[in-house]
Amino acid sequence: MPDLGRAALVTSLLLLVYSFTVGSWAAWRGRRRLAESAQNALLGSFAATLVAAAVLLAALARHDFSFRYVADHTSRELPLGYTLTAFWGGQEGSLLLWLLVLCGYSCAAVLTARRAGREILAWVVPVLGLVGTFFALLLVFVASPFATQAAAADGAGLNPSLQNPYMAVHPPMLYLGYVGLTVPFAFAMGALLAGRTDERWIVATRRWTLAAWAFLGVGQLLGAHWAYVEIGWGGYYAWDPVENAALMPWLAATAFLHSVMIQEKRGMLKVWNVLLVALAFGLSLFGTFLTRSGIIQSIHSFTQSSIGPWFLGFICFITAGTLTLIFWRLPLLRAKTRLESLVSREATFLYNNLLLVALALTILWGVVYPLLSQLVTGQAATVSKPYYNFFLHAFGLPLLLLMGIGPLVAWRRASLRALGRTFLWPLATAVAAGIALLALGAGSSRVGVIAYTFSIFVLASILLEFLRGTAARKALGDSGWLGSFSSLIARNRRRYGGYVVHAAVVLLAIGVAGSSAYQTVRETRLHRGDSMTVAGNRLVFRGYETSMASNHRSIRGLVDVYRGNNYLGRLKPGKNQYFAEDQVSNEVAIRHDLLTGGDLFLIADQVNADGSIDLKALQKPLVNLIWLAGIVFIGGSLIALWPDAREERRLAARYAGATASL
Amino acid sequence: MPGKRSPVRLIIALSVAAALAVFLLYTSIAGGGTPSLRPSQLRGHDGRVSLAGKVVGRTSGDAHAAGLRFTLRDVNGIATVPVVYKGSVPDLFRSGRDVVVDGKLTGGVFVAVPNTLVTKCPSKYTPKS
Repeated sequence: MPDLGRAALVTSLLLLVYSFTVGSWAAWRGRRRLAESAQNALLGSFAATLVAAAVLLAALARHDFSFRYVADHTSRELPLGYTLTAFWGGQEGSLLLWLLVLCGYSCAAVLTARRAGREILAWVVPVLGLVGTFFALLLVFVASPFATQAAAADGAGLNPSLQNPYMAVHPPMLYLGYVGLTVPFAFAMGALLAGRTDERWIVATRRWTLAAWAFLGVGQLLGAHWAYVEIGWGGYYAWDPVENAALMPWLAATAFLHSVMIQEKRGMLKVWNVLLVALAFGLSLFGTFLTRSGIIQSIHSFTQSSIGPWFLGFICFITAGTLTLIFWRLPLLRAKTRLESLVSREATFLYNNLLLVALALTILWGVVYPLLSQLVTGQAATVSKPYYNFFLHAFGLPLLLLMGIGPLVAWRRASLRALGRTFLWPLATAVAAGIALLALGAGSSRVGVIAYTFSIFVLASILLEFLRGTAARKALGDSGWLGSFSSLIARNRRRYGGYVVHAAVVLLAIGVAGSSAYQTVRETRLHRGDSMTVAGNRLVFRGYETSMASNHRSIRGLVDVYRGNNYLGRLKPGKNQYFAEDQVSNEVAIRHDLLTGGDLFLIADQVNADGSIDLKALQKPLVNLIWLAGIVFIGGSLIALWPDAREERRLAARYAGATASL
Repeated sequence: MPGKRSPVRLIIALSVAAALAVFLLYTSIAGGGTPSLRPSQLRGHDGRVSLAGKVVGRTSGDAHAAGLRFTLRDVNGIATVPVVYKGSVPDLFRSGRDVVVDGKLTGGVFVAVPNTLVTKCPSKYTPKS
């Protein structure tokens, strides 16, 4: 069996090398049949990688401990579900998943994105082949998942923190996001190599970019939720390097999704778009590198492995290659039009882009700061939460505000009078809300009030857009408000899907501001019968209960929650003591208040021998809006992604020449 | 494009300048990063540092009263320093684990900043046999 896996990987590698070398030759010399052959090799590599993945999955399912990977990451007692998800529990399996997803994406993109035109496609195949070759090389020569050993009686087991239902979805989602960014990158490089620098490569890959970006966003929110309910320190994001590793490409991709619209509509920002997509792809490689190399101190660094230098080399190669290509094609990348006014849709998109990229780069600076300071001063230094929070406020709040302004400003040039009309109501609502918030005592956090006020401004302007649009459709003869509303969205999914995503980001901002700027934290040692108060909740400690399960002993503090004289219920924060792993895990207790969106979050910080408890209680207002934002985000992304027959017809007419030549 | 005013360049230049200004403002207000040290490098640093090391020997005391006392050693070395810490103790904390904690050296003892103790995930999970 391991031989089959190894053979499949070698086959995949050879096919990828073929699609890269022969594909480049074919594209360069314009050999059509050879280009098709290279494309078929790419399809074949997906099949071969599938076989390799199936072999590893089968070995995991059969507990075949002659596979070193299986023995290192699973054990006989491990439930089947976690045994299978151990596929991506270690480095070799993760790399295999990368390659599998990459080959899958490559096939799907090459087969569906014919609109890009034959010349571009001919160059896309070798670029995808090159990226695939890198990962296949690693898998064959450096980190093989099919290394064998004398079969052990039992495996080492899976890290308990990975034995969690989130493990089944969070890593694959992130990988679908990370790897998905390869597709727009490959098409951008294909466009440069082919000398076809119009907006066609963007149109052809729009949905791929959007899908990758949505996966990345959802993957991160799932990770945040995992941290919140399982890790149990009362937060959901800690600016850890590995968390940042996923945030940076997402920010770059967000900037890209916006700036491509300017190239589509106005033919501007061509160099910028290619740079952005390369930045997003480079950051996704960098993210994989960070997670896997252990080069930077992180609580997530599971591995300290030998693949670090390979990744660094590949990242440098990609960066140098991209810059060379752009420099070479600079004459073709001149904009056809120029910015006419600093008050226009284009300009607001440009501001948005600069802020997003600035945020991504300052985060990058913070992540690599330990390495840089080590190089410069010989002494590693780290930056922490205040650094990141400062820049989140400095760049994030203006971004939030722009989200309300950008979509309402006219293309090319907006008159001040029109602006006044457009923004009168959102502005009035926001100012009124801000004053009301101050009156209600939200002034304890200046950043919080600003975030709330901006959020309300954005929500009001989005709502107004939907209202105006619906009214316009109704006036045009659509039946009823509901009918007009749905036809409004159906007629311009991209735009209105985008608004829904904006609403999700606003919900996220409100949730983050509420749960961080206005949270209350109390820590007290309580003996039986003692009570403490947090944000109007009275918590009474009633003692402990203990129970035994097959693999752990659990101890729970019994805490009754009262508000005034109302008994709200009993919460049971505690700890589990796992025998086999010899490890303690914190089990937090959370009371959701669906009406206000806040959580009462209890942590049994320390269980004392004298029967007392060190209880940490957090009141986190509006935190549930963050998870709601995730659902709205998925909804908005789906609206924007949904196939659109009208758009297809329009594009088909526009690129009739190119499609006919295929 | 001589003779033509290019607002794009103006915006980019202004934004870069603004970003730099913000950056300088930040670094002047908050100072640089926190030095990240091993126990063997502690001597001579009297400001706040981030200390990374391996927990060795016995731990004693109460993190929610007078403080938890333990010893940190260089991960690949022999220099050690006693640490006193108050606040939340991560689940994974125990002798033999790699941890990072902020604080400063006061009279030969590393006095930790409350609630800054972080354990690193064991790089490879091996259960007790």
